Amino acid sequence: MMVFERIGSFFGIVFHLAADPINIAILFGSVLMGIIFGAMPGLTSTLGVALLTALTYGMDTSMAMVCLLAIYVGGTYGGSYASILINIPGTAAAAATALDGYPLACKGEGGRAIGLTTTSSAIGTTISMLFVVSISPIISYFALQFTSFEFFLLAFFGILISGTLTSPDLVIKGWIAGFLGLFLACVGRDLLQFYPRFTFGFSELDSGVEVVPVLIGAFGIPQIIQVLKDRFQIGETQKLQRIIPEIGTVVRNIPAIIRSALIGVGIGAVPGIGEDIAGWVSYGTAKNTSKHPETFGKGELKAVLASETANNACVGGAMIPLLNLGIPGSPPAAMLLGALMLHGVTPGPMITFEHPTFIMEVAAILLLASMAMFVTGLLLAKQVVKVLRIPTQIFMPIIGVLCIIGSYSLGLNIFNLYLMLPVGIICYFLTEMGYPIAPLVIGVILGPMADENLRRALMVSQGSFMPIFQRPVSLILFIIIVLTIISQFDWYRRLKDRAMAKIRSRGNTCEVILEENESER
Amino acid sequence: MKKLLLISLVVLMAVALAAGAYAAKGFPKRNITAVVVWGAGGGTDTCNRIIHAEMAKFLGVNVNVINKTGGVAGSVGMSHAYSKPHDGYTLCGLSESNVTAGVQGGWDKKFDVWDTFIVGGSPDVISVTPDTPYKTLKDLIEAAKANPKSIKAAASGAGSIHHLNLLAVEKGSGAKFNFIPYKGSAPSQNAAMTGEVSVVVTSLAEQQQLLRGGKLRALGMLIPSAFDVEGLGTIPSSFDAYPGLSEYLPISQAIGFAVPADAPEAAKAVLVDAFKKAMATDKVKTWAKENYYLLSGKTGAESKAVFDALESNFAWTLWELGAATVDPAKLGIPKP
Repeated sequence: MMVFERIGSFFGIVFHLAADPINIAILFGSVLMGIIFGAMPGLTSTLGVALLTALTYGMDTSMAMVCLLAIYVGGTYGGSYASILINIPGTAAAAATALDGYPLACKGEGGRAIGLTTTSSAIGTTISMLFVVSISPIISYFALQFTSFEFFLLAFFGILISGTLTSPDLVIKGWIAGFLGLFLACVGRDLLQFYPRFTFGFSELDSGVEVVPVLIGAFGIPQIIQVLKDRFQIGETQKLQRIIPEIGTVVRNIPAIIRSALIGVGIGAVPGIGEDIAGWVSYGTAKNTSKHPETFGKGELKAVLASETANNACVGGAMIPLLNLGIPGSPPAAMLLGALMLHGVTPGPMITFEHPTFIMEVAAILLLASMAMFVTGLLLAKQVVKVLRIPTQIFMPIIGVLCIIGSYSLGLNIFNLYLMLPVGIICYFLTEMGYPIAPLVIGVILGPMADENLRRALMVSQGSFMPIFQRPVSLILFIIIVLTIISQFDWYRRLKDRAMAKIRSRGNTCEVILEENESER
Repeated sequence: MKKLLLISLVVLMAVALAAGAYAAKGFPKRNITAVVVWGAGGGTDTCNRIIHAEMAKFLGVNVNVINKTGGVAGSVGMSHAYSKPHDGYTLCGLSESNVTAGVQGGWDKKFDVWDTFIVGGSPDVISVTPDTPYKTLKDLIEAAKANPKSIKAAASGAGSIHHLNLLAVEKGSGAKFNFIPYKGSAPSQNAAMTGEVSVVVTSLAEQQQLLRGGKLRALGMLIPSAFDVEGLGTIPSSFDAYPGLSEYLPISQAIGFAVPADAPEAAKAVLVDAFKKAMATDKVKTWAKENYYLLSGKTGAESKAVFDALESNFAWTLWELGAATVDPAKLGIPKP
């Protein structure tokens, strides 16, 4: 009965919110603004939520939440536009999408890819919403199993998996790129003892290497040089097609979508990490479980589906610890926490008593935001693909200017440009040598988390690594990491192939085994 | 024609009179801008928005609150506000943490270039993970004394206000904890909930949900008086069990705003007057109660003393931790 009551009151809130035309206007406006923030390299959904928070001061709480959640959802989705169309992820969350999204666009299926991302993002958000309503206390209990060791292992795994997945030839190159990123993340005053590392006396480097200029430099500059060098015009190849959601493709991939959404919710719920790592893990799972892993990286729709569903499912996932424990699950959620405090709502274990309908309201807003995103996305998709018809000689310089503005706009700091340019040029040469760039950026993003948490974990355990093997979650993470590494070695693959062959032959016929036994003799 | 002339003359005179009255009114003639150096939605931001909304009613003009974040310890916003004319039309919304901007190399002046207005802050509370055996502060301190550095205590970042409070507890009681720094209050509370650390010091506003939800157990307020929390009862003052603490505590949040000290006295007097009136309104009082803030209302010499003490405490603690880049002695900051 409880469940029905909850569902009833949930839809009550949805209709109540949707009945107010101002809410609807704000909803669509914020989603659109979010998409723009997401699609512009350098502007992120975190920044969008932060900027809008001050503007919501005059609104009532639910209207402010409509505004902020809509920009969060829109921003997470919007990052895929830039990934697919120009191979420069609009946000770090969409970096995994670029791997297959851009090849799709090169094949002339950019519109199709965007249409599909729109659908999968909407489904991802909606599924995560279901978790917010139904079992959020259980998930927030799970989130409390994460201590410093787990955070370290998770961050390390994120860097490792993006390295494993993105290498065009040798996996070790991806890992090298990841470790370069980790090294960049070490620059600046360390977070525990304030010791300046690799700052060479520049006070600008004290606070560390900013992620946004690195993101833009690393993805943007090599791409601009590459496209201008090849004089490649992908616009001419774009097929004119319907962007209407392909129900067939979606239905065929339902299990994959649900799996990606679960990954997204789970990772979103872990405090402090968010959309970027969810996209990678989901992409990796999709590749590993696929029957044709060789098609990944060459324009596989399933890959785009996996990363985009997961990064949007992260939005709802991040809400769970925020609402139930007052711990933000992702960087934009940290901004949301501030916004809630501004409106006099302190999230935490008592929220169900103090604001009984608040969690329902957040879920209802998420549902509305995902619908608004779906509609806006479908309307936009056909138009944005036209961007590719702009001649490369004009388009790429514009992208270059946007990149520079994007880097500079962050804190209006000219130093960011001095950082962006060399990073970009180095990354161009790395790309030429066949090193993937994404792990480097992921390294910069997750590096501080890995560094800080490893050192803190060792402070807590007084120098012992034993807790890794004593704590269940960290043990599982450790085993996954070890498997990821050794699965790349030839001897392991040979061993695995042989084992698999044996199992298969045993299953097939006894004769084979007999033969085998004979031959062994 | 004559009529028209007469009417226009009357209108003109009315306008002139109004303008005259406007001029005679003195400060403020136009809207005031408050530059908050921390992000929207943070404690300092919320506090400034509340107080300025009330002050605007007494000042007769709007106070526009904007956020200018970045730099070290809010130095970008402070420099911005300080670079505007010192006429009282630009205020700077700030908090106690900004006093470290000097020793961290973001601000080349002593903090007393500002005249501060302190709204208040949420007092710090020391709490433990519920499944630890420490029921009272005495249990905890005695256990820590018996086995120095064996109990892990969390607070946000070395040199933060909560860390300073923890250090003061150590000094005042003679206990030694194993300090584990976290990136902010939320992660440090999270660590106490997971049991990674046993003790956590953050403000009551940040902790109240977890205390009332039974996720953490409060042992004592780090202020001279006890605090009533609805649905939880009274949290005793730590000073009851350890009177020695009064030598080092309280180190309280001081959230409010500031105006350059060399602004015209007349303008400052108007601001002080509006501030005092705003602090007495029910709206501010209710807000403080709902958000677990203690109101202060200090201005002028009183608030200067508070900020001087905070500056010297913060600056020298950071310098001793090796976290400061500029020697506080060079800035003329006396030792605490």
